[in-house]
Amino acid sequence: MSSLILKLKTSPSQRIDCSALTPDRLEDKTPAEVAAIELPSGNRTVRVDSVFDIRGDNTNHIIFENSSEKLDFVGNQMSFGTIEVSGNIGAYLGAMMTNGFILAAGNTGAYTACEMKGGQIKINGNAGDFVGGARVGQKNGMTGGIVIVTGNTGSRTGDHMRRGYILIEGNAGDYCGGRMVSGTIAVLGKVGAHLGYGMKRGTLLLLQAPKQGVSANFNDCGAHTLAFLPLMLASFRNLDTKFANLTTFSRVQRYTGDLAGIGMGEVLVKIG
Amino acid sequence: MIINGVSIDETFAEAFPMKGTRLIITAHNEKWAMISAQTFTGFATSVIACGCEAGIERVLSPEETPDGRPGVTILIFAMGGKSLAKQVETRSGQCVLTSPTSALFSGLESDTEIPLGQNLRFFGDGFQISKMIDGKRYWRIPVMDGEFLTQEMTGVQASVGGGNFLVLAESQEQALNACEAAIEEMRQIPNVIMPFPGGVVRSGSKVGSKFKALNASTNDAFCPTLKGQTKTELSPEIESVMEIVIDGLTKEDIDVAMRVGIEAVCKLGAANGIKRISAGNYGGKLGPFHFHLQEIMA
Repeated sequence: MSSLILKLKTSPSQRIDCSALTPDRLEDKTPAEVAAIELPSGNRTVRVDSVFDIRGDNTNHIIFENSSEKLDFVGNQMSFGTIEVSGNIGAYLGAMMTNGFILAAGNTGAYTACEMKGGQIKINGNAGDFVGGARVGQKNGMTGGIVIVTGNTGSRTGDHMRRGYILIEGNAGDYCGGRMVSGTIAVLGKVGAHLGYGMKRGTLLLLQAPKQGVSANFNDCGAHTLAFLPLMLASFRNLDTKFANLTTFSRVQRYTGDLAGIGMGEVLVKIG
Repeated sequence: MIINGVSIDETFAEAFPMKGTRLIITAHNEKWAMISAQTFTGFATSVIACGCEAGIERVLSPEETPDGRPGVTILIFAMGGKSLAKQVETRSGQCVLTSPTSALFSGLESDTEIPLGQNLRFFGDGFQISKMIDGKRYWRIPVMDGEFLTQEMTGVQASVGGGNFLVLAESQEQALNACEAAIEEMRQIPNVIMPFPGGVVRSGSKVGSKFKALNASTNDAFCPTLKGQTKTELSPEIESVMEIVIDGLTKEDIDVAMRVGIEAVCKLGAANGIKRISAGNYGGKLGPFHFHLQEIMA
């Protein structure tokens, strides 16, 4: 069996909801049945074979070739298998996924990994706003799993995030960790304004101090050696990311906030 | 069976089922990891009065510990999962949480788990922080020297307690020397502990007592001062008997430890006053695990 390859024929004029194209939803379907699936697109539906050239039959491993930022909800609620995306992709990549692996070779749209519960998403590019966030009206964003972004993330990374890891090798936009309930966001690069705005709990681990300083509503708790950091860094060793190669450290400057709320969140800035 | 002049009795040690777990204590250096481990395993010689049996298994190098610091593994056993959980919680809270620079981890994976730091976290008074790392939950509890890090749960497995053998010698000093030699070798064996002081018991017990309040009393058949006063198991030349008790995660682990220990004793042999090896055998009243000395040494 070879991977199921869905090659986009032309760049679509309307956004297309690809929720139906996950290993879960395609399990036991023949290529003909896959071809006949109707995907929502605007106020109509389009058949899969009208949008994609279809090759292969292994629905556990789906590859989107010639992908477009107009393909939304790729990997939505998936619980097993692998999805590879050869280029840019639209919004809600891996939303609510519970397990499995998604590899995107390009940039992703807004709400990547929103309300993700488990599994891993690796983005070899930039991610849009609200990575690991919650949909409008929802209380919790990401509650498990790991998101790796080799590039930068947009605004409000980890909005309402409750559990899991977001590892950003580039820079994070404004309001990173905003309204975060728990979990961990680590950033190798720079962070934008309003870091941890409305943060309740959780950890923002920064490898470089923010140029603009830590937000005013965070208090400095001093420099500390924290035993959990080597343990956490060791857990990154098996991941395909720059975080796997970090020299272990446990010495950080600890800030807690957002003190306008319960103030149990923490920003840890590596020392040295 | 006679080995190097030492007679191996045709008898068996009786042991009983227990529940056990392994914990890893790390600290800033080996000295403080050991202090914490010794405190944790203090007053844990026998379930008869201590509620559990615990001991230090071995020292770990920084490369072997979860947080990359020097560490010590300990094994702790109790008669049931609930009593084990209680002992682990109270001892962790009083002896590891309190110990400078310490951190506490599970050293045993199992489907059955008991709380490790799950309840200790409340010491944090709301300032405690949870972290999920590699699918396991850890608690960071703020303490005056920094943070106490502990894993939330530890695995439990069915284990065996009370494996033993007796060293019968012509003098107290010779019995002690032989037991020390045995303990030194047995401490190299994984998955076992010898919970008594220095690994050696001089007050072996029998089941029951003439006093109603007690369920164990001195093993008078092996007390040399009672040779003319009770139904003795000792020949005239035996002046001192010492026992080594072994708890292990499996019966096979105890088999290995007993063999290694008896070999070390027999190496000293009759020339050093060691006359016999026997075992605590209580007629089947104590437990379902039987360790036949001659089979182990065959």
